[in-house]
Amino acid sequence: MERAVPLVVPLGQTEVFQALQRLHMTIFSQSVSPCGKFLAAGNNYGQIAIFSLSAALSSEAKEESKKPVVTFQAHDGPVYSMVSTDRHLLSAGDGEVKAWLWAEMLKKGCKELWRRQPPYRTSLEVPEINALLLVPKENSLILAGGDCQLHTMDLETGTFTRVLRGHTDYIHCLALRERSPEVLSGGEDGAVRLWDLRTAKEVQTIEVYKHEECSRPHNGRWIGCLATDSDWMVCGGGPALTLWHLRSSTPTTVFPIRAPQKHVTFYQDLILSAGQGRCVNQWQLSGELKAQVPGSSPGLLSLSLNQQPAAPECKVLTAAGNSCRVDVFTNLGYRAFSLSF
Amino acid sequence: MSSESGKKRKPKVIRSDGAPAEGKRNRSDTEQEGKYYSEEAEVDLRDPGRDYELYKYTCQELQRLMAEIQDLKSRGGKDVAIEIEERRIQSCVHFMTLKKLNRLAHIRLKKGRDQTHEAKQKVDAYHLQLQNLLYEVMHLQKEITKCLEFKSKHEEIDLVSLEEFYKEAPPDISKAEVTMGDPHQQTLARLDWELEQRKRLAEKYRECLSNKEKILKEIEVKKEYLSSLQPRLNSIMQASLPVQEYLFMPFDQAHKQYETARHLPPPLYVLFVQATAYGQACDKTLSVAIEGSVDEAKALFKPPEDSQDDESDSDAEEEQTTKRRRPTLGVQLDDKRKEMLKRHPLSVMLDLKCKDDSVLHLTFYYLMNLNIMTVKAKVTTATELITPISAGDLLSPDSVLSCLYPGDHGKKTPNPANQYQFDKVGILTLSDYVLELGHPYLWVQKLGGLHFPKEQPQQTVIADHSLSASHMETTMKLLKTRVQSRLALHKQFASLEHGIVPVTSDCQYLFPAKVVSHLVKWVTIAHEDYMELHFTKDIVDAGLAGDTNLYYMALIERGTAKLQAAVVLNPGYSSIPPIFQLCLNWKGEKTNSNDDNIRAMEGEVNVCYKELCGPWPSHQLLTNQLQRLCVLLDVYLETESHDDSVEGPKEFPQEKMCLRLFRGPSRMKPFKYNHPQGFFSHR
Repeated sequence: MERAVPLVVPLGQTEVFQALQRLHMTIFSQSVSPCGKFLAAGNNYGQIAIFSLSAALSSEAKEESKKPVVTFQAHDGPVYSMVSTDRHLLSAGDGEVKAWLWAEMLKKGCKELWRRQPPYRTSLEVPEINALLLVPKENSLILAGGDCQLHTMDLETGTFTRVLRGHTDYIHCLALRERSPEVLSGGEDGAVRLWDLRTAKEVQTIEVYKHEECSRPHNGRWIGCLATDSDWMVCGGGPALTLWHLRSSTPTTVFPIRAPQKHVTFYQDLILSAGQGRCVNQWQLSGELKAQVPGSSPGLLSLSLNQQPAAPECKVLTAAGNSCRVDVFTNLGYRAFSLSF
Repeated sequence: MSSESGKKRKPKVIRSDGAPAEGKRNRSDTEQEGKYYSEEAEVDLRDPGRDYELYKYTCQELQRLMAEIQDLKSRGGKDVAIEIEERRIQSCVHFMTLKKLNRLAHIRLKKGRDQTHEAKQKVDAYHLQLQNLLYEVMHLQKEITKCLEFKSKHEEIDLVSLEEFYKEAPPDISKAEVTMGDPHQQTLARLDWELEQRKRLAEKYRECLSNKEKILKEIEVKKEYLSSLQPRLNSIMQASLPVQEYLFMPFDQAHKQYETARHLPPPLYVLFVQATAYGQACDKTLSVAIEGSVDEAKALFKPPEDSQDDESDSDAEEEQTTKRRRPTLGVQLDDKRKEMLKRHPLSVMLDLKCKDDSVLHLTFYYLMNLNIMTVKAKVTTATELITPISAGDLLSPDSVLSCLYPGDHGKKTPNPANQYQFDKVGILTLSDYVLELGHPYLWVQKLGGLHFPKEQPQQTVIADHSLSASHMETTMKLLKTRVQSRLALHKQFASLEHGIVPVTSDCQYLFPAKVVSHLVKWVTIAHEDYMELHFTKDIVDAGLAGDTNLYYMALIERGTAKLQAAVVLNPGYSSIPPIFQLCLNWKGEKTNSNDDNIRAMEGEVNVCYKELCGPWPSHQLLTNQLQRLCVLLDVYLETESHDDSVEGPKEFPQEKMCLRLFRGPSRMKPFKYNHPQGFFSHR
């Protein structure tokens, strides 16, 4: 197929710079607003953009609706992780976690509500925060990242209550096991550790790379993504994407995909995963690939399902990664359109 | 016969008849030769009615007698003849009565006619008299009206008003006592006064005329004096030339230039004036000169309508002659094209001298029929330049000034009206002729004060000094930067082709001391080739790879790893950075689509280029970017995690000091170099 040559627009210095920035942008994290109508996306330059899902999904959507409503510089470094409470957006990246009011963010020039830095051991380099996890029962936030520890912060007082140590290399991802309550963390050291929040101790360790079925030494041993369904856990990264039964710590299903996966989540009776490669993969629990839906980015880093009850019309899956675009899937079968920074 | 004899006998007979005719008989005797019949007098006396009765009776008698004669004749007998004779005599008498009556009738008729005639004559005479009188009346009336309408010439004269007259006129003329009462006298007086005044004014007029003559003569004299002064001044100027040269004040030269400048077409004139002003005020390195033939320029100087007519005439002539000679249509069209693209014989030369003694020569031309200006550029350096192969296009006259302002590629004519002119002579685009005519850049038009607004096309675009002045300084500065950056690149390319990345000492701090990866190849590639590369799709799709850019391929190697870098060099280097796209061949092919770290490396040189600019005017940007790529390749190869399943040592032992090897969800390598500590960290 012939590639159409795009029109070259005379570009001055600023336009070239902006074009280059957009070409090299990576969107690391996404979060849906409590009302369900807005989506926040954080990129590697430390900017957060708020998109209006309701405007982009409406029937009168124009090209401008696919652009952010507001973009602001949130952090100095990349924004690796974001989560939303019922009123705030919490973003973290270069060692600090900042909170923003959803209601205020749509106005230009909004300031963070507060910012906190967990007590780090090293002072030479500020470690990054790769994952944020809300524990609603305790009203606390768990942060994990570059210093190989999990920190818990009480959302009301802002104090850091506990530190969970155990990982030997930096932590990539967190997941919450509602029933117990337990926190699962996966890290660069190749282990998935389960922590009991009440005793603040590690209760279970699964070293994924040691299992033959799923280890892939040429990719490394790092665990990039975790998701749990109380009894089950699915994790992926360097090793293959595997479904584990937690009580017995045995891998039940290995999903046959070669590319390392960076994000995985349970959805209804499916498992959705995305990683290196364009597609969002949909798996049956049995290990069969139900569908592979291509997106617009060469690699995906985060998936977000908008299941907010307040906005059922905005119930979409959004995927973002190694580009300046967020793909919106209204129906899991195909990519409807893309929002763009 | 008998009637004639009757007529002859008549006068005698008649004379013997009737006594009343006696008086007239005397007269008739005296006038015997006249045609006067005595019956004429008789006629008046006899009654026509009775004569008529007599006639009727006589006719009856005649009829009776004839009838009796007839009877008698038919009866026959002797005494018939006497009776017939008697009757015959009686008939004869009757015949004579009839004749008389006939005569009387004729005479009566004649009389009646005569009387009518007379009366008619009288009436005619009266009629004529009446007409004469009427005519005279009319004539008199006309005369009267004429007299009444008669305007005496004196009424045409605008006399002064009565009050003024009485005020101004001397009493012997105005004679108030007499004139007040009598309008006739008054008018006469006024006319007198008028005459006096006019005589006086005529005198004055004559005096003034003589004055004027005198003054004119004086003026003549003075003019002659002045014109005799001019050659003397010229000789003084000539004499002062050596003094001027001695004092380094070339006024004369400048004067000559201004003389020639008068023949420049308006846009070139604006350019000349503004450039000279700018050169004198701000920039001593700028020199302006005018080249070309002044005589040809003078020959062109005709009013626009005439020259248009001439053109059409000459065109018509040309057509005629060509019809006779029958050349090809192509030749005819060619001539028309040449005519359309004709340049003004004069051109303005600007020389911009840069710090390192290299000079940018700009020659500005004006295309008369298209109303645009073009420029030809040439760069000369103090020392002879050996052009490396890849630097071929850097300083070529065709492309050295391309895109001085973003998008100003100089291949299309900036005047929208030209398109219609081109259609007439079959010129598709001006870019076919730019090599010989020069480039019609937009900044060239602005320097000449020509502005072609897109929204409202104007009928005639006139050269505007303020437009030129507002753009002069920026453009000159941009031109100088452009030449200097191109020359710097020229030098750098020479070094790059030999595999050495020339990093200046003041940029050394950006890189670690030991850089193992080295540049192996540096070549130009064509625009189409760049578009065909599989790892440059993003740049092409983003519209950053146009045909005004220059494209290069660099190859950096270390051990078995080969890194290809495709470079887009924008003509606006170094304010617009070069853009790199990488493809690494080491344990498979890695590009930005399948390896996040390659993407991060591209980001390091493309997005974070401002750190690599070096000291102003940042000519080191390209070489610093290349050096940084070498450093990044080193880091990449050395920090690659060792695959335990494969035997053997790592090909590239880690020599770089890194705090952490991986960071973040994408597990980035530490590409950021920290000076002066010398370790690598993440952004």
